Amino acid sequence: MIDPITLEVIWSRLISVVDEQAAALIHSSFTTVVREAGDLSAGVFDRSGNMIAQSVTGTPGHINTMANCVRKYVAPNYPIDSLDPGDTLITNDPWEASGHLFDLTIVSPVFYRGRGVAYFASTCHAVDIGGATMGGDARSLYEEGLAIPLMKLFKAGEANRELFDIIRANVRVPEQVIGDIYAQEVGNQVGARKLIEMLEEYRLPDIEQVSALILDRTEKAVRAAVRALPDGTYRNTITIDGFDAPLTIACAIDVAGDELTVDYGGSSRQVDRGINVVLNYTQAYTTYTLMAALAPGIPNNEGAFRPIQVCAPLGSILNCTRPAPVSARHLIGHFVSQPLLTALAAIVPEQVIANGSAGLWNTMMDGMDEHGDEFAYIFFSAGGMGAAHDRDGLSATAFPSGIMGVPVEAIETAAPLLMHRRELRPDSGGAGRFRGGLGQVMEMEIITGAPANHSCMYDRTGNPALGLLGGAPGAPGEVRLSDGGRPHPKSHYVLEPGQRVILELPGGGGFGPPDERDPARVLADVRQGYVSHLAAERDYGVVIDPATMTIDDAATETLRKERGHDGAAL
Amino acid sequence: MSMSAPPTLLAIDIGGTFTDLVALDIASGRIAVEKLLTTYPDPSAAVLEGLASLLEKSRLAPGSIRYVVHGTTLITNTLIERTGAKTALLATEGFRDAVEIGNEGRYDMYDLALKKPPPLAERRLRFDVPERMLADGTVWTPLNEARTRQICAVLRADEIEAVAICFLHAYTNPAHELAALAIVSEELPEVSTSVSHQVAPGMREYPRASTTIANAYVQPITERYLRRVETGLKGCGIDAPLNIMLSSGGTTTVAAARAFPVRLVESGPAGGALAGLYWGRLLGEQDVLAFDMGGTTAKAALTRDGELSISHQSEVAHVHRFKRGSGLPLMVPMIEMIEIGAGGGSIAHLNPLGLPAVGPRSAGSAPGPASYGIGGTEPTVTDADLLLGYLNPDYFAGGGIKLDAAAARQSFADLAAALDLPLERMAWGVHQLVNENMAAAARVHAAERGLEIRRYCLVATGGAGPAHACGVAKGLGVRRVIIPPLAGVGSAFGFLTAPIAFDFTRSYVAKLSALNLTELNEILADLEREGRGIVEAAGVPPSDISVRLHIDMRYVGQGYEVRVPFPMETLTARHIRQMQSAFENEYRAFYGQLADGLPIEAVNWRVLISGPAPDIASAPPAASLAVNDAPVAFRPVRFEPEKAPQETPVYRREQLGEAWAAAGPLIIEEAASTTIVAPGWSAQMAAGGCLLLTREQES
Repeated sequence: MIDPITLEVIWSRLISVVDEQAAALIHSSFTTVVREAGDLSAGVFDRSGNMIAQSVTGTPGHINTMANCVRKYVAPNYPIDSLDPGDTLITNDPWEASGHLFDLTIVSPVFYRGRGVAYFASTCHAVDIGGATMGGDARSLYEEGLAIPLMKLFKAGEANRELFDIIRANVRVPEQVIGDIYAQEVGNQVGARKLIEMLEEYRLPDIEQVSALILDRTEKAVRAAVRALPDGTYRNTITIDGFDAPLTIACAIDVAGDELTVDYGGSSRQVDRGINVVLNYTQAYTTYTLMAALAPGIPNNEGAFRPIQVCAPLGSILNCTRPAPVSARHLIGHFVSQPLLTALAAIVPEQVIANGSAGLWNTMMDGMDEHGDEFAYIFFSAGGMGAAHDRDGLSATAFPSGIMGVPVEAIETAAPLLMHRRELRPDSGGAGRFRGGLGQVMEMEIITGAPANHSCMYDRTGNPALGLLGGAPGAPGEVRLSDGGRPHPKSHYVLEPGQRVILELPGGGGFGPPDERDPARVLADVRQGYVSHLAAERDYGVVIDPATMTIDDAATETLRKERGHDGAAL
Repeated sequence: MSMSAPPTLLAIDIGGTFTDLVALDIASGRIAVEKLLTTYPDPSAAVLEGLASLLEKSRLAPGSIRYVVHGTTLITNTLIERTGAKTALLATEGFRDAVEIGNEGRYDMYDLALKKPPPLAERRLRFDVPERMLADGTVWTPLNEARTRQICAVLRADEIEAVAICFLHAYTNPAHELAALAIVSEELPEVSTSVSHQVAPGMREYPRASTTIANAYVQPITERYLRRVETGLKGCGIDAPLNIMLSSGGTTTVAAARAFPVRLVESGPAGGALAGLYWGRLLGEQDVLAFDMGGTTAKAALTRDGELSISHQSEVAHVHRFKRGSGLPLMVPMIEMIEIGAGGGSIAHLNPLGLPAVGPRSAGSAPGPASYGIGGTEPTVTDADLLLGYLNPDYFAGGGIKLDAAAARQSFADLAAALDLPLERMAWGVHQLVNENMAAAARVHAAERGLEIRRYCLVATGGAGPAHACGVAKGLGVRRVIIPPLAGVGSAFGFLTAPIAFDFTRSYVAKLSALNLTELNEILADLEREGRGIVEAAGVPPSDISVRLHIDMRYVGQGYEVRVPFPMETLTARHIRQMQSAFENEYRAFYGQLADGLPIEAVNWRVLISGPAPDIASAPPAASLAVNDAPVAFRPVRFEPEKAPQETPVYRREQLGEAWAAAGPLIIEEAASTTIVAPGWSAQMAAGGCLLLTREQES
């Protein structure tokens, strides 16, 4: 029997092992998507495929889908005892793994004293996977690129040459794609080596007992957090842009004792554009959002998922069926966090935040550079986060996704793009007692002298982030061209030389009534240029003398009183 | 500095709590030490007071002091407390918010109430300047000089004290930054200026701008402070040049320190790492892990190929002290340090899984561990060490603090009851957990760099380091531990071992197959000339200066580089092949395999110019006061949770003779710390007054 002290020592060691795995992967990666944006996950699994520990990097979409993929797909199909040392598996099946073909999940068994003891897995976003480039245009999965059913990438240490050749022949930038596959393999092998050192040091045969104990304790802790909530059903519904027509995401959170069920019944049907979400991905963002709001200190592993059930009607936008197109599934998937947090606001308002821009804005450019070589480049950008009960929302910060933006200098070094500005977007944060985070504005052009293809994956251009408990919505996003054109925010178009595209990213929603915001905070926002004079008066009822930059207390009081009588000017 | 006559060397280290002074008389090997509380707000007061006292006590003549080296936390504190100058930023039009947008990420995925560090230059003081360079250094939009002058007028009216200039891609072509600098210097001659291509030459506008602003922000206060120290030293009759300790482990002139004060952050810990390296080398060790454990934090640094690793990516002034990503990014050369919240005052508690955890919360020195009896009631690492018998309640801090065992027992009662464990088992667990936390941090750090930690020798310092050294070493698979003398003033002593050095970096990105050698040779010659200027200004004769080259290289498309040492000579075609194989060797060592067939490119060219370190090795060892090699006492000590405590001999360090050796378990006490030699380890006195602990091979 392992006592609590030894358990904690070994558990801390397991976390350091997966951090070592992720470190090796990141440092040997070939792409900015992995290195700078951190679009990856890494974790260790027991013999049955239960995820025990994850590295501190990563995005919920990858971590939690990878957890399901290994347990429900890899382990049943390739039980660890059926594998050999030096084997490594790969798949990008959207339904079984992380929801679109771009994400490669690579899984390696670890052998110790002749017996399989664990799996190491990582999921990384490949910069290209063939087919139509990333975007929502495809009408079916078959247009979206190369599908790799679960198979061996390495057999007993020998690379599966045929598979490598197929990948090489299907993708636009094979060096980067293949380079990152090797980086994932390097990470898994480093993890395996470190795990074996740990088993030797603690004289353990495997990690089965540690896994059982940790998952059990995690499950109990999450159950305790759920039990602390009042029983009942809490609902919220939001409308988001969709591809051609708005879509509904409806959620009902049912709390019964120490179990929690989220039902997305009432959400829109799947569509024939590549924004459909597989259930695995819906589950991933649901569990993540609930963990962040209800149990932020508890580790994220298989045990945490047990008390939480997630369902969505088959054929709905959140549980689509094959061969629905899914390339830009995050456009919808990131939004499940929004109604969930709003529904929870009814019972734990201090643990949630208002809606925010939520969906990452993904910009993909491809074409021919000035030397006639193909280029393809993708980067992610974030709008504003929603405000909380005691603080303003964060500006230009990704949530719920955990990935990072890429420096302009890195973008321009890697791709023939010129960024003309990238700055905060004033007045985009929703007004409230606490203000929503600001979005950002980006303006860019292509400098090859030739046209390029720009794939847009942008949301909240029609439906802004709503405020919470009296807070106002953030500004919606906009996509426009310097000559007045308006590209479709979820499609692609040709960006001509000399033409500029301007992206205005949405802001986050406010929290609490704007008239309750401390006028001194409004003044500070005006001084810094986060809020304009006009908006200070219009949205907050605060009158500022532009000459002295001071608050006109009397005028403010009068204005706020009048607005109070109007009732809901907002 | 003259290296020929054996002079007296003086080191001054201003830490957050204490100011330490160490004088080393090379001829006699005599070391004089002074420790006093750091004075606020003017830390130079303690320096001058301590110096007067040191000179008087040691009867040293001020004139005999030929070399002074000084490190300070002033810069770090100014950044943490945000008490620097009113600072403005001039940025490329459209990019003044780069420092606020940051990396758009969250450093803690599960914290919905996350806070980010606000930029040191607020938004209204960040200005757009029309100009634009492309990534390859060609001009897209020329600098708008008229607009730059207009901005200067606004800055003047707003009484700005410091200006940072950071333009996009200035690291490939600094022309616009230089032109803007000329205008600002002309219009606002009283204002401190910092330009990004000089302060932090490297790609990535967010960390570069952040570093440049930080440099500007601390410049005026550093300027005033250094002037006071210089004047004060002269007032004490010392006319040796003042050298300033850098975070990179080298020292530099006051002039260079004034220009790049941000390179002084964390110079104290750098001194500690240097001291570790010095003692390791003295005992013939090649791979050294310098490990310092105090009251609140543990810090560690590793050597690579016998040198401390330098990083150009770090952070300062964290919102959450131990959360990576929560600080202001800095791109300056810095000895790579691991810092975790593990010290004698770290508090044990239950984590949300109901498992025991230690730190990062610390009882510090107030209210302190429960056993201090000055208000603390929570169980800490020091309390655990006392319950295990590791610490002597009557000889902690040389008897200065009387430890209360009953209070320590009391503090552990709840935790032990919650886990249904005996008190001693609980205390043992806390000791073991904190050791594992420190070992884990060192292991991940080593993994990120492809180093084999088991080969290392651990040099343990700090009040709590020697008591935990064996435990940490075991967790790392390390077999040799050094407990050096002078642990109480380790950083200051380390300063004395630092060479006068400065390094310069230029970005020059090109595939190896397409290097323009003429241009490159010119760049390298420029960098060397600049560096020699600084090092010669510190009094180093040109013949004593060594010049090294490091090239940061990668496969085309990768974003992190591998640092490759390369001979500094005029580059010709034959060097290109050598660069490739040097890169491949480093890459293979790091990642295990090559990405065969992909083109390789060079990114950054770093030229390191250094003089010799002061020759302190020629100092004869101070005579031993050995009077008693036998134990001064025995006490029961717990080394294994399942077994009863073991009667363990206790020695006094200052009484041990040069030839002393004994097998563990045993304890060696001194005023500054207590060394625990666990069963399976043996201890002996070694060169320079070091204790050397070795672990026998397990059967």
